[in-house]
Amino acid sequence: MNSQGDAKNQAVSMGPGLPSGYGTPDVGRLREIVGADNVAADPADCYVYGRDASVHRASAQAVVRPMDAAAVQALLRYASAERIPVIPRGSGSGMSGQAVPISGGIVLDMKGMNRILEINLADVYVRVEPGVVDDDLNKALRPHGVFYPPTPASSRIATIGGEIANNASGTRSVKYGATRDSVLGMKVVLASGELVTLGSRTRVEASGYQLARLMVGSEGTLGVIVEATMGFVPIPRFRCMGAACFDRLEEAGETISEIISSGCLPSVLELVDKVAILAANASLGLGLPEVEAMLLYEADGMVKEAVDYEIARMEEICRRHQGFGIKHSYDEKERMQIFYGRKKLFPALSKYKDLLACTSLADDMTVPYSKMADLARKIHEIAERNGLVMTAYGHCGSGCMHTKILMDTSKGEQWAAARRAVEELYEYVRSSGGTTSAEHGIGLSKAPDFKREKADSLELMRAVKRAFDPLNILNPMKLQDAPDDWLTATDLRYRQRDQAEPPR
Amino acid sequence: MSRPKLERLARHEDRLDHCISCGYCYEHCPIYKETRWETDAPRAKLALCYGLITGALEPSEYIAGKLHECFHCKRCEASCSAGVNLTEIFAAARADLRDLGYSPAGTVSQTDHEVCARCLGCVRLCPHEARSFDPVLGQVVTDPVKCQGCGSCLDLCPRAGIEIRRSFGTDPRSQLEKVGCYLKEKAPLEPRAVVFSCSWSNWPGFQAAVGPPGASQRAHETLVTVCAGRLESRTLLETLKAGAWGLLVTACPPDDCEHGGSARARRRVEALWADLDALGVDRRRIALVEVPKGDAKAFGAAVSAFLEEVRTLGPLFPL
Repeated sequence: MNSQGDAKNQAVSMGPGLPSGYGTPDVGRLREIVGADNVAADPADCYVYGRDASVHRASAQAVVRPMDAAAVQALLRYASAERIPVIPRGSGSGMSGQAVPISGGIVLDMKGMNRILEINLADVYVRVEPGVVDDDLNKALRPHGVFYPPTPASSRIATIGGEIANNASGTRSVKYGATRDSVLGMKVVLASGELVTLGSRTRVEASGYQLARLMVGSEGTLGVIVEATMGFVPIPRFRCMGAACFDRLEEAGETISEIISSGCLPSVLELVDKVAILAANASLGLGLPEVEAMLLYEADGMVKEAVDYEIARMEEICRRHQGFGIKHSYDEKERMQIFYGRKKLFPALSKYKDLLACTSLADDMTVPYSKMADLARKIHEIAERNGLVMTAYGHCGSGCMHTKILMDTSKGEQWAAARRAVEELYEYVRSSGGTTSAEHGIGLSKAPDFKREKADSLELMRAVKRAFDPLNILNPMKLQDAPDDWLTATDLRYRQRDQAEPPR
Repeated sequence: MSRPKLERLARHEDRLDHCISCGYCYEHCPIYKETRWETDAPRAKLALCYGLITGALEPSEYIAGKLHECFHCKRCEASCSAGVNLTEIFAAARADLRDLGYSPAGTVSQTDHEVCARCLGCVRLCPHEARSFDPVLGQVVTDPVKCQGCGSCLDLCPRAGIEIRRSFGTDPRSQLEKVGCYLKEKAPLEPRAVVFSCSWSNWPGFQAAVGPPGASQRAHETLVTVCAGRLESRTLLETLKAGAWGLLVTACPPDDCEHGGSARARRRVEALWADLDALGVDRRRIALVEVPKGDAKAFGAAVSAFLEEVRTLGPLFPL
């Protein structure tokens, strides 16, 4: 599958397609199963549901919106009998192609199942259907003085089901953990249509295999989550946000490393580099100081003295590493101002320069804290060597670094350069003891490097997949089964116009 | 393959590349929130445009229909930090599709020529110069590229001869249905108030989750209208009659309203106040506030203040 050759030609070629033996959905039958109002199968619908926030594009054969678990069961029984691929989908905000139907089939739009079923304050859990949007859940929890902490930057549209399937995390994960740390249990429809209950409703569980945890990060390849039981935590009474500027990226990286290793307990610890700052200023008019790097840090707690103490320690570490322009605020409005640019950074990056579009490539990785500074430097070195622009930002407090490749997407040579840059970067990540994805998942575009990293456990993963889904109908050809070259795995969402006739 | 037939749209390909497809526009689109199909979301409509340019999609009635469904509140544009000019791109698509012979109804205002008296009031008053009299046809016609679906003409037509076929819950009948559903909820919290919120002036950013049993009890219901000027007096009176303790209309400040609707809404509410006085009903049960575009704080404050006032008034029809 890993065909080597002229990058231009590869980029427009079709994906490898499914192995034979799969059926195609009958739209009439789908309408019978879930109701005519919940099936969309116009070529336009199939096109739209064939994309997400990644660089990939494929076409669904039908889109189905189940409104309850029974509909999901009926649909999977049908899909099993006919052996049709089924691709569960939340809001399609994934950045690695997890929800792209590389092999056609039925896209399962889970947003119809959007009920918050129970908020249990006494037992500290919430039960939700998978299509509930993260921000909505937090809106419902806020009056009770609690919140659901993983909160990725896309929480305004990301669904809980998608977050579980991706093991999403975000700015507060440095203190509160990733989605896996909030999941207690769930109901899952297996590929056969059988409904199983995994995990528990209690904080701890040692009852054998942790199958609920296995579903976390499974990217829709093992089952369809139809209900989730999640923990929550109290909203702290005090939050203090700080920002510090640095003239050298390495100094910011060293600061992160020291803040964590010295035992500070930040609730947010974010790095933003110059490219990201320039883009945020261009897009959002924030007027941030255009320095090499900024650190945003926050401490929270129920006692102000404790928050003051954490902030003072972090400030001191920033200063020791030549941090300057340091400011702090407890005020919610001011905190939001400091943080606003970070929350909208991903789309804002498309505004860095007129001709460069922001693509979701090499978007996510982790390295050990002590390598953070080195990684930041490496990112820019690799970008320069390959004639691209890349950023370094992320929830560095949890070891997570994000980059994006800014490039002229109309040029085939830029895509070839992007492929080289991605490969070089992940080679460094592996050699430094990091891992391919921190929170965006593997999908298609990170699969080649994921497979290199996990080479000795791929067969084990395939055995797990077979145990759950012997017919291989659930989101096939992802993760360990994804093609070896992301650039040719599917059509790209972009067109390389240097080989098509130019538009008039 | 780019085709000369879609040349207006093709000029926007660079901007389409800049859409990073994050989907953050979902939470702002009143049409997506009504249907909750991704194909109705701004991001998806850009994808359709892209598909048309690249030839991955063939032009069709269905696609043309989608691209003619937009109330031009431009909240997606305001929230897009990639700076994609969505409504401009949709206008280009509409113009190209018109040249290809597509004329779907969408959110474009349609005239019933049987009813139309050719008074040309709508032609004079359309804030977007989308309506004109075609001397050959002898009919009033709408330019689908210029029409923004604000509904001003529906409001102004003395013979009720204009409609927007795809209303996405903003027409009087749908609004009253939603009022009915809300008021029939078991044991809703007090006061039972309804907020009619102009889709330009407010920015609630709510999504579509359904709350847990018990927590679905709401002290008020927010319904998104198109322009406040389109709210009919009858809708407001029926809302009170159905059992709401009070209702609040939010509109843009008159100088900000691109459709002249804010001033009409105020005149209408003032007329209703006179009617309420005559009926011996406290006029504070119908309120109107002007909320600057996108000011969620002002919107929230106005709603809280109104709920407080209505609570002191109590139910209009005590049991």
